[in-house]
Amino acid sequence: MDSVFFYRNNIKAASRSGALQKIKIALQPNISVAGWPTETGSNALAGFKALENATVAEHAVKAGAQLIGYTRMSEFGFGLKNSMAGSVLQKKAADVELVLDLAGEARLAALRAGVCGFKPRYGLLSRFGLAGLIPSMEAISILSMSIKNIRGILQAVAGADERDSSMPEGKTPDLKPTKIDPKKIKIGVIKDILREMPANERESFEKKLNELEKAGFAVKELSFPDFSQFLAVHQIVGSVEASSCAGRYDSVRYGKREPQAKNWNEMYLSSRGAAFGTLLKSYLIQGAYFQFESYAAYENACRLRARLVAQMKNLTAQADFIILPAVNQAASENPATLAETYTQFIYTAFANVTGQPVLFLPDKSGAGFQFTAARLGDGQLLSLGEYLQGGGEK
Amino acid sequence: MNFSERIFCGKLSSEHIGKTVQLCGWVDAYRDHGGLLFIHLRDRSGIVQIIFSPETSSENICKMAATLRTEYCIAVTGEVKKRIPGTENPNIETGALEVFVRELSVLSESEALPFPISDKAMVAGAEDASVENVSEDLRLQYRYLDIRRPAMQENLFFRHKIFQCVREFLDKRGFVEVETPMLTASTPEGARDYLVPSRVHPGNFYALPQSPQLFKQLLMIGGLERYFQLARCFRDEDLRPDRQPEFTQLDIEASFIDEEFLYELIEELTVKMFAVAGIELPRPFPRMTYAEAMDSTGSDRPDLRFGLRFVDVTNVFGNTNYSIFKQILQRGGCIRGINVKQQSAKLSKNVLQNEYAKEIAPSFGAKGMTWMRAEGGKLESNIVQFFSAAELDELKKRFEVQDGDVLIMVADPSDAIVTQALGQLRLHLANRLGLIDEKIFYPVWITHFPLFEPTDEGGVTSSHHPFTAPERVDFDPKNVEELLSLRSRAYDLVINGEELGGGSIRINNREVQRKIFAALGLTQEEMKEKFGFFLRAFDFGAPPHGGLALGMDRAVSMILRTQSIREVIAFPKNRSAGCPLTGAPAGVKKEQLAELGLLNLGGKNILPGEAQKETLLDRVSWVSRIGIAKEERSVMEEVLREAQKLAAEVNNLPVDDEPIRSVVDAAGIARPGLTAKKSELAEKGQLLKSAPAVKGNYFKVANILE
Repeated sequence: MDSVFFYRNNIKAASRSGALQKIKIALQPNISVAGWPTETGSNALAGFKALENATVAEHAVKAGAQLIGYTRMSEFGFGLKNSMAGSVLQKKAADVELVLDLAGEARLAALRAGVCGFKPRYGLLSRFGLAGLIPSMEAISILSMSIKNIRGILQAVAGADERDSSMPEGKTPDLKPTKIDPKKIKIGVIKDILREMPANERESFEKKLNELEKAGFAVKELSFPDFSQFLAVHQIVGSVEASSCAGRYDSVRYGKREPQAKNWNEMYLSSRGAAFGTLLKSYLIQGAYFQFESYAAYENACRLRARLVAQMKNLTAQADFIILPAVNQAASENPATLAETYTQFIYTAFANVTGQPVLFLPDKSGAGFQFTAARLGDGQLLSLGEYLQGGGEK
Repeated sequence: MNFSERIFCGKLSSEHIGKTVQLCGWVDAYRDHGGLLFIHLRDRSGIVQIIFSPETSSENICKMAATLRTEYCIAVTGEVKKRIPGTENPNIETGALEVFVRELSVLSESEALPFPISDKAMVAGAEDASVENVSEDLRLQYRYLDIRRPAMQENLFFRHKIFQCVREFLDKRGFVEVETPMLTASTPEGARDYLVPSRVHPGNFYALPQSPQLFKQLLMIGGLERYFQLARCFRDEDLRPDRQPEFTQLDIEASFIDEEFLYELIEELTVKMFAVAGIELPRPFPRMTYAEAMDSTGSDRPDLRFGLRFVDVTNVFGNTNYSIFKQILQRGGCIRGINVKQQSAKLSKNVLQNEYAKEIAPSFGAKGMTWMRAEGGKLESNIVQFFSAAELDELKKRFEVQDGDVLIMVADPSDAIVTQALGQLRLHLANRLGLIDEKIFYPVWITHFPLFEPTDEGGVTSSHHPFTAPERVDFDPKNVEELLSLRSRAYDLVINGEELGGGSIRINNREVQRKIFAALGLTQEEMKEKFGFFLRAFDFGAPPHGGLALGMDRAVSMILRTQSIREVIAFPKNRSAGCPLTGAPAGVKKEQLAELGLLNLGGKNILPGEAQKETLLDRVSWVSRIGIAKEERSVMEEVLREAQKLAAEVNNLPVDDEPIRSVVDAAGIARPGLTAKKSELAEKGQLLKSAPAVKGNYFKVANILE
């Protein structure tokens, strides 16, 4: 298990009670738990021990869950290199794992492990205490074999947090199960994605659509010609936010300081130069380029984002759910470069751009599919999942 | 408008009473007393109060006057009257007079000011305004307004007077002012040059002079005998708070003279310069050899306004049992100290041990510091028990200890560390204890400098410059030890711990010059290449000569006691070597670079566009403060190419939607009902726990400047 865990909590809480009292949760070392080495897989936070609990961790513990440890993660959760997300569930060492989803990492990790992965809508879970990377897109996501567990965790930890100023106002949403009647449900499929897919992928996707139709769902073709723009928008906006967000890793408040810097600027240059690995550094350098050398491109990407969000809203109004593939089989499984890393996220990055909820469901074939819904449709999405997994209310 | 009758505001006196005068200047301040308008009118000479009153000014004039605001440029004509007793303003020289205006012309209006210019209160007893709280960069950006302030005008006026005094004095002594070129060749000595590209000779550069050194010596060879110049010099050095990239120095050179001639000349000149501001310097200036200065103060520009001289006590501890001293002495080290006379009240055990020994002395490079306080005829400290009675008695004798004295000692195997650390401690103590009398000026000549300094490679380099005459010429240019023991005929003028100027007697003998170059390890070819034209001149009967340069900005700043040298320079650069007024240094158009042949400088083997790409990565790495290792460069260059492609892609998509930064309407930190509070983690110092470096209650960072 050493290869899975970055840190294991050996202190057992005396007695636990509450909705999650039988639940063991594994976290990534980017969610603060007081006293734990919250090092985010990066030298930038090497040796850092969290001073207090993240809101999600706090809520989970209050609901009786046991936090069992940190699993190994990629640097700041970007991409899946060195990430062991999902393994802890495969090995049944935890019931639930919280994994940061920046561009689809949590969903692809769920796919890799053959478990369910749920990325809630942006703003549903507090990010207070999260050492994140892309503030306007990232979402703490929940991986588990059981959707019931996912819903349980979500109900326990969701809701407004005055310490996360990026959350919307409003009441804690109702996440109770709803009844799924296939005859009344339209599942949309984006034909522009279908058209671009290689033959074999398309075949298995169409097989899935047939299954759904057999189960009584109506499948409806939707048109979204600009879908492919999500990736570029994600990369530009994401890298700019990452570069700005990582500005705080300056070897002053935490991290390691490179010795022998003659002055302040040199201290920054050398310490930050040593703090980030090549992949993350590539991303930060791109972000710096857009910010300082090509700001118009960032501004344009934000305009495109507005348009894509509106188009997606329009699309989700035409169907109850939308089904999408998850894995890009043309992408390398072990991407070495930034460009290769991004090609993994062709089908997943959209949900981070729009902030809508997505549920990844594994499939017997070893692959799996994403289901998404309108921005506030977290509850229904989980009900659909439960229905399709055969455990939901009929 | 005819200005022929104009009188200066500050020149009005009682003899003008009853007369009609014309005045010009700026509205310094105004006070409206319901129909009666008082204005402080300011020109270069001073301020006078002018009055617009319905009784003496026409209705039109009064109406026009009501529109006046500060720094309007105006001309008025009016009658001078004596003020009613009791209404005089002692803040201004013309405070007993006032002028009742009959005619007014607004010559030019002014917008609202970026900072106040007026510093003279309009009524007796009111406080003067000041620019102390105005950022210096703002003052420099609007320097023309800053210069309107009487304090700045006075600085520039005195600078002029001091320069005039220099010219007059040197003229009387037979010196000729000669201008040497600004566009000259780069010499390989000294600091970095500012380079000026040549359009006519693409790829070649002039250098701006770091000093007119070579030219002034050539003028001596040219038989001019006595030369001076108030020369502008340029040095591209690292930033220091009080350093200017261009500065003015008084450059002097004379033939058929020796050190004594220069000492007499410069002392008399310095006395005259200081006298411009009413400061008396005592003559003759004392002299100190370099070795004396280093041994007694740890500095070659000693501040002698206070005592705290070093005492060497190494041999007191020849047989000591105190293991730290013993080990240091076994390694050939030394022990020196200072007697801080009668300050034990201000230097408690706590201050000495926890501040000086633990923090301050180590920050000056010392590994430790020993202190003792004299009380009741005894020396006491935390380690006094390790010393024998004989050692303590000897210390009392050497330091001439009395009760109330404090001894500070530094020991180290390296003589240089002891000198350096104790020298800085000396200044620190003097400042902290207020031992420096700010009113006095203490000039001193430092002489007998080492001719050479050792290099890391085991050779020698010139301490001053390679044309400085050695004290003796019978040395072996191959014997490094002997070379390092040689003294030069160089001298520095130091006042209050600041080097005001320096110079030397120069070599005028070809053979000696060749020996010096040989000592520096230069071959015949290298000599020729570096100084060929200059050495050639010595083949034609060079007279014995010597000279000196005085930093005039620093001298004027010292004489006028200004906060920084920027206060005595009309248009200085700021601390970052930039000019907030003009924006210099600034980028130039590509065409300009192309014309100068600078687009592809640095090698003809670089592919087109390669040089620019390199700078893009360097630029991005710099603005984001992320260092890029050599082996990462190619990856990062590729990543930037991809980013450029991506940027082009999205820039080609026509979109006019309003840009969004978030998909939700975030509540923001100003959520109603929330109040700002200090984090408990901050209050308990928890936030410092993960910091790589902490000092006291603060995060510790590297120096902002080198």
